[in-house]
Amino acid sequence: MEITFEHVTHSYNADGPTASLGLDDVSLTIKDGLFTAIVGQTGSGKSTLVRHINALLKPTSGIVKIGSRVIDSETSNKNLKSLRKQVGMVFQFPESQLFEETVEKDIMFGPINFGATEDQAKESAQKMIQMVGLDESYLSKSPFDLSGGQMRRVAIAGVLASDPETIILDEPTAGLDPVGRQEIMDMFKGLQKNGKTIVLITHNMDDVANYADDVAVIHSGKLIANGLPKDIFNNNDLLKNDLLTLPKSAEFAKKLSQKGFSFSKLPITIDELGTEIKQQLNGD
Amino acid sequence: MEKIISIKNLNYTYPEAKTPAINDLSLDIYKNEWLSIVGKNGSGKSTLTKLIDGLIEASSGTIAVDGQEINEDNIWDARKKIGIIFQNPDHQFVGATVEDDVAFGLENQGMPREQMIIAVDHALELVKMSEFKKRDPQSLSGGQKQRVAIAGVLATRPQIIIMDESTSMLDPDGRKTVLNLVEQLREQQDLTIISITHDIEETELSQRIVVLNDGQIVKDGKPEEIYDLGPELTNYGLEEPFSSKLMSTLRESVKLPEGYLSGRELKEQLWKLHSNM
Amino acid sequence: MGRYLPGDSLIYHLDPRGKFLLTFYFVGIVFFANNVASYALLLAFVLFAVYLSKINFGFFIKGLKPVFWLILFTVILQLLFTPSNNPIWHWGIFTLSKEGMVISAYIFMRFILIIFISTLLTLTTTPIEISDSIESILKPLKRINFPVTQVALMLSIALRFVPLLVDETTKIMDAQRARGVDFGEGGLIKRIKSFVPILIPLFVSSFSIAYDLAIAMESRGYKDGEGRSKYRVLSWARRDNLTIIFMIGLTIILLFLRSY
Repeated sequence: MEITFEHVTHSYNADGPTASLGLDDVSLTIKDGLFTAIVGQTGSGKSTLVRHINALLKPTSGIVKIGSRVIDSETSNKNLKSLRKQVGMVFQFPESQLFEETVEKDIMFGPINFGATEDQAKESAQKMIQMVGLDESYLSKSPFDLSGGQMRRVAIAGVLASDPETIILDEPTAGLDPVGRQEIMDMFKGLQKNGKTIVLITHNMDDVANYADDVAVIHSGKLIANGLPKDIFNNNDLLKNDLLTLPKSAEFAKKLSQKGFSFSKLPITIDELGTEIKQQLNGD
Repeated sequence: MEKIISIKNLNYTYPEAKTPAINDLSLDIYKNEWLSIVGKNGSGKSTLTKLIDGLIEASSGTIAVDGQEINEDNIWDARKKIGIIFQNPDHQFVGATVEDDVAFGLENQGMPREQMIIAVDHALELVKMSEFKKRDPQSLSGGQKQRVAIAGVLATRPQIIIMDESTSMLDPDGRKTVLNLVEQLREQQDLTIISITHDIEETELSQRIVVLNDGQIVKDGKPEEIYDLGPELTNYGLEEPFSSKLMSTLRESVKLPEGYLSGRELKEQLWKLHSNM
Repeated sequence: MGRYLPGDSLIYHLDPRGKFLLTFYFVGIVFFANNVASYALLLAFVLFAVYLSKINFGFFIKGLKPVFWLILFTVILQLLFTPSNNPIWHWGIFTLSKEGMVISAYIFMRFILIIFISTLLTLTTTPIEISDSIESILKPLKRINFPVTQVALMLSIALRFVPLLVDETTKIMDAQRARGVDFGEGGLIKRIKSFVPILIPLFVSSFSIAYDLAIAMESRGYKDGEGRSKYRVLSWARRDNLTIIFMIGLTIILLFLRSY
């Protein structure tokens, strides 16, 4: 499902005396089946942007197209279920959405709201608990008896259980330890390979370099750049103005190029960097 | 070197837990050092903080702070020497405004108001938050809230600051500012810093790293010694440092010395190889 | 009523205790007004206070919004049900009369006056100032061993965490909406049920905040509220005395203008 923003502006408290601009004339296409990263400083409007994809927010002006659905300022708050079934959203610290007595019931909550039968939802819960790296014994436990990391996984399973075509992730690994982070990011990449569209909000430029096919850079509510990670991280205007930081590999390459080495484009992953260094040292 | 905290044979098991969270742990921490305690979630890092500050009581073993073994009677004195910055900036902000929050610890000590005003201003200057004095917490970023928390702790003039995953919820800018600030304060104020984290990258500024796993110390050494473990670090739920990862991809075809090189050393080494071509 | 709005004007600088008590006092004397002149006087006073506050009038209109239906309902009730000997229009139980119109206009005015003045208090006084005022006003109760300082700290912490919990509620609602919950759809039972997925996470988060906060407070040396000093003090100034004198003047003119 392709997602298109056409001149979307969002103003918070638009009709009140405290109006503030969340998004400012954003036009962006999120391509079907790709892994798109959204980056930008805290408060730049990343979360505001993605909340338009499942109509938690509506544009003050402009339109958002999600497949054949069009959302504008006039869109009614009713009949949004079919859209929200297609667009799953993992919020920041999603463990705070858990509420059921058991992990199984909590994972089933979404599917049942979206019209699945009890049996379908149960089956989905069994599948998803494994997908997020926990075993079936967790299904009968109370979510509140789990560790923070496990709760995070259950919350993610609860979003995936409705089998959304597009998955929006708002810093899904914040606060997790490195092993947990890697596992969860790899799982999302796997989902994308199986045909899902992934939209990831992140501050981690290494994740952008390692996982994303496309990057959008947001600053003060405006889309200031959009393109391949490699091009974005080689965009000197962005880097010069501190609007973007580099992944570690690019940072290292930049330092190397002070003497001897030269890179036509900064490599952004360790593998790329390794290959380049080997080539330049061995001449092969 | 003078010991500031001395932990001997410490044990702690949470009620209803089967395995101990802290398992016969002994550790000496020295004055003015920056010690990082690293380990994955559930390795016992945060439990250790709470034990040191007497917020939970050890099953057995002893903890001495500044030469004095802590017990129920002197725990409030020990606490005066220790300031803790917790993980969630929102959950430790007591005051309605920045200055009120900084004053909270002083109010608890019953400090006269005239002295408090001076102490609050001074603490806010140290963390460079003076211009935010009258602001409410909702209008601050995560990093700014943590700086206020540091000011609140500094105002009471502790000898030790424990950072209990205090930067894990911050964005990269906020994290960097807070860590650099803490290092600056450590030097200026002769503080001892204990920082608890699962992010190996945050140990850059420390002089010593202790790796915790299942409530036990598995490694204790200088940062180079710990980074030198390379891929072995993943066994303890930690990430392999960047330069170590890069070295493993290069090794097969580039001649590199044995052992760990820091980012800078690796860079120098590669430059040398390049100029010898 | 509204959330505190940072600003700088005479009204902001008044002592919150005075503002707090005078607001209540004003709400009381509103009920003394009983003719056009007395209502006009009070309205002029409120508008003058609003002007002094230097706050955009829009915020006061916004303060009316939540009670709009209540006002409309009460005014219509008065308009149609005031008994009269010479009605203009009469149909079944409904009576429209000159008296009814006058009374409903007065009631409307009362609403406006009371809402504007309390909005003025909440916009220009931080919750913590209000809680300090309450502490100060309750101080005499210390003599009968009522834990005034502890209660005041509790109140101030509660107020401090209101905005945080509001944000948390919005976030949880969004998360459950994204999982297919429709708030405000279906019958009453279904609607009540749809709040369970919000209330439970909210409880859990409140407890976790409370737990973390208790630990943080203890680590910063908070014992039992005894022997604490106070950083924030309220100071009564000449302008506060002047405000009181002004209010007395207003009351005298009001008593003079009202009909007996």
